[in-house]
Amino acid sequence: MGTENGNRGQIELIELRKEFAEVVAVDGIDLDVPGGEFFSLLGPSGCGKTTTLRLIAGFEQPTSGRILLDGGDVAYTPPHKRNVNTVFQNYALFPHLNVFDNVAFGLRRAKRPKAEIAERVGRALELVQLSGYERRKSSQLSGGQQQRVALARALVLNPAVLLLDEPLGALDAKLRKALQIELKALQQEVGITFLYVTHDQEEALTMSDRIAVMSEGHVEQVGTPETVYEEPATVFVADFLGTSNLMDVTVDGADGDGCRVRLGDVVLRAASGATDARGEAKIVIRPEHVELESYGAPGENRVPGMVERTVYLGSADQLVVHLATGDTIQALVRHGRSTLYEQGTPVAAHLPADAIRVLAR
Amino acid sequence: MSVAAERPAASISTGERVRGWLRNPWGRPRFLVLVTWTYVVWSIVPVLIAVQFSFNATRSRTVWQGFSGRWYWGDPVDSVWHDPTLRHAALQSLKLGGADVLVATPIGVLLAIGLARWRGWGSRPANFLMLFPLVTPEIVMGVSLLLVFTHVFTFIHTGTIAQILGHVTFSISYVVVIVRGRLFSIGRQYEEAAADLGASPTVALTRVLLPLLTPAIVASAAVVFAISLDDFVISQWLSSGGGTDTVPIVIYGATRAAPLPSTNAIATIMMVLTLLSLALAFLAWRAFTREERRASVATEFGGFTV
Amino acid sequence: MYRRWLWPGFALPGILWLILLFVVPAYAVVAVGFGTVDPVLLQPVPLWNPADWNTGWLVEVLHRLQPGGTFFGVAVRTIVYVGVALVLSLLVGYPVAYYIARHAGRTKNLLLVLIILPLWISYLMRMLAWVNLLAIDGYVNRFLTYTHVLSEPRDWLGGQSSTVILALVYGYIPYLILPLYAALDRIDRSHLEAARDLGASPWATFRTVTLPLSKAGILGGAVLITLPMFGDYYTPNIVSGAPTTSMLGNQIDFYFHYGGQPTIGAAITVVLAIFLTVLMAYYMWTIHRAARDVPAV
Repeated sequence: MGTENGNRGQIELIELRKEFAEVVAVDGIDLDVPGGEFFSLLGPSGCGKTTTLRLIAGFEQPTSGRILLDGGDVAYTPPHKRNVNTVFQNYALFPHLNVFDNVAFGLRRAKRPKAEIAERVGRALELVQLSGYERRKSSQLSGGQQQRVALARALVLNPAVLLLDEPLGALDAKLRKALQIELKALQQEVGITFLYVTHDQEEALTMSDRIAVMSEGHVEQVGTPETVYEEPATVFVADFLGTSNLMDVTVDGADGDGCRVRLGDVVLRAASGATDARGEAKIVIRPEHVELESYGAPGENRVPGMVERTVYLGSADQLVVHLATGDTIQALVRHGRSTLYEQGTPVAAHLPADAIRVLAR
Repeated sequence: MSVAAERPAASISTGERVRGWLRNPWGRPRFLVLVTWTYVVWSIVPVLIAVQFSFNATRSRTVWQGFSGRWYWGDPVDSVWHDPTLRHAALQSLKLGGADVLVATPIGVLLAIGLARWRGWGSRPANFLMLFPLVTPEIVMGVSLLLVFTHVFTFIHTGTIAQILGHVTFSISYVVVIVRGRLFSIGRQYEEAAADLGASPTVALTRVLLPLLTPAIVASAAVVFAISLDDFVISQWLSSGGGTDTVPIVIYGATRAAPLPSTNAIATIMMVLTLLSLALAFLAWRAFTREERRASVATEFGGFTV
Repeated sequence: MYRRWLWPGFALPGILWLILLFVVPAYAVVAVGFGTVDPVLLQPVPLWNPADWNTGWLVEVLHRLQPGGTFFGVAVRTIVYVGVALVLSLLVGYPVAYYIARHAGRTKNLLLVLIILPLWISYLMRMLAWVNLLAIDGYVNRFLTYTHVLSEPRDWLGGQSSTVILALVYGYIPYLILPLYAALDRIDRSHLEAARDLGASPWATFRTVTLPLSKAGILGGAVLITLPMFGDYYTPNIVSGAPTTSMLGNQIDFYFHYGGQPTIGAAITVVLAIFLTVLMAYYMWTIHRAARDVPAV
């Protein structure tokens, strides 16, 4: 399949703004999504990600700003004329039509000849592994199957961009994981832009080529999953993706290739993030980078503390460590090293300088 | 220390159960069962008796003297089939019912969709206006319609046209309420999906929304037919005499004069027609929404999930 | 997606219809009631301009409604009939609704059909049924004399208040039971279980949880049946021929159809409508609120 007419599926949002009666849902965002990416809009409910999606789809009109699709401004084009298709959260499969008619719907609107419709629908169903289900009614399908029909229905039209509005939200955890892999594979096979809206950060990290983290109508950070996770630009991003172990510090001055930060009475060296900042700031360190050593172990960036609680996660242990400075952090310890770390054990938390990221307030 | 083992009560003997019931025959469920079924019997049996007497062999409506179809078609003078008053009344009722459905249903469907989605400043008063006929006592409506045809729209005289206009006026709101419920169940998603897939607004409305609204449209048509057949006050106030009397008016006249079992007969016929149309609507609703119920899309009908 | 003017456009035919055939007629009632009477033709002359309104007839009607006036007895009687009918309807209807909502189990669907059924049987038919039963030689008299409750047949249909009230109850109670049922059915079982869990006896649970939560339903149902009852004129006419049981509706009916004075009839209607406004407003507010409880389409 792929985009036959050379459209790359590039999306550009320029100062896009949408106000509803009392609320600013999208607060002047700029976004650039080159074609062919699996791009996620990630954020908590109310952050504007769904509104942004609906603006791109055409179900809402922007208050101001531009929406460029492959260079052309579609902000005021009605949805049925945009080369964009949507997979809805509740699938929105037409209940009065069977699977074939659902998938064929858009082709019929485009007045394609019957033979072409039959062929394309067949291929689309094959793509989502639902060949043979043509005559079924949507009520006879499971949630996962309905989702795939919705996908086929959208993809059969060869859009430049596919918009997905939390399509896996209604499925149970195991099915969700399986479909995440499938969707990612599908995007790579089809090659068009997938714009994916979700509040599940794990999902976004797993599937995306790049992520835009959103909060309260604006974009906090755009980057690859690694970037966004390891190098969060703001406190919000750090906190939203995984555990951040956010701590208040004072930045004194430079120290080697980083800066010197004071965490309570303890002095640490931080080598990541806004090391040029001075004064009050925050630091974050991911739990998997926190190393626990026996109490009193020497070396840079060791903070004395005590294991407050251990949570068994299956694949690892999550330890809640209360530091002498008064902060409480989480450490993630793979099995095989947990003998030391029972509840009540005094430890030294080693926070490697490269793993400490400074965020300006 | 040994504790005398107590044998737990595995089951209650019948005797104990009966004694328990007798000790408290006013125990709530029992009392409620009694009240409820007594009410149901009191509510329905009189009508059944009236139906029974429509088949009475003699003129009496109070003394049963054998089964006969004379009041329906047999009696050459007084049966429903032969008595011109009764026949005309039946025809008039059906005429009004049919016209009411044909006019009120489309207007009501459009009004329902319009009101549900209109966001402007006029929508609140419009909604308010739509609710008004539902809360207005019938005599007030009857008076107002009679006066408007006597003093304002004087080109319309009392009679069939006026009756139809009156019926439609009170029926529209019922259509709106029924269709509106269905609209809320459906939501916007299907039309948005249709537009997303290339359907113009017209196509989205006609090929997606309207088919999905069909159960509500059919149901509201049946309801309009039923309430039109059963209407008394408006029909009476706008009637111009014998030729435009409907069945309820005839029944009314008969109960105050000397009713014959033929009155029972025609009342029975109307009742059967009403119930049939409602049953059909109910079945149509169930049939149309069978697929959705299996997919557990909410299908509410005036507050009840069917 | 759709043009914004589409929706008001859809609503337009219906709104126009209702304006022409509901609002204008309502105004016609007011115009006639506040109008004058042509002295020669003895026809009502409606006055459309509020500045010209003649309050004479309205005052006359209000005057007659005072104690000692010709309408006073009818008005009082109407209020009494409606009040008693309402109370009786509640006393019978609440237990029925309660049972069906909370205890009926397997028979619930059957019972629902049976209580909805009377709503679709013509009111006239149901009254006709009672006219047959209450005749001198009808089943009621025959049963009561047979069981010696009565020594001789009673003339139920000859101007008895009790008959009218019972007919009102019979006629309107289905309209009460349904909303009551709906309200009771909506009460979440977990609320009742919580109350029991916290130590309330079944009766206390009913009193402190169920009853308050069903108050809206009671009020709604009560309004739903008292509104039409206040305007009822046919029920007294059917089950009682006598003027001693006439209700306010009968007065209106009289002045229009027999008394040849539509102006007075209109004036009474205006008074009645004002009296009922409070009830109507409450009823509209509950429908409106029920519709708003669902997300915007």
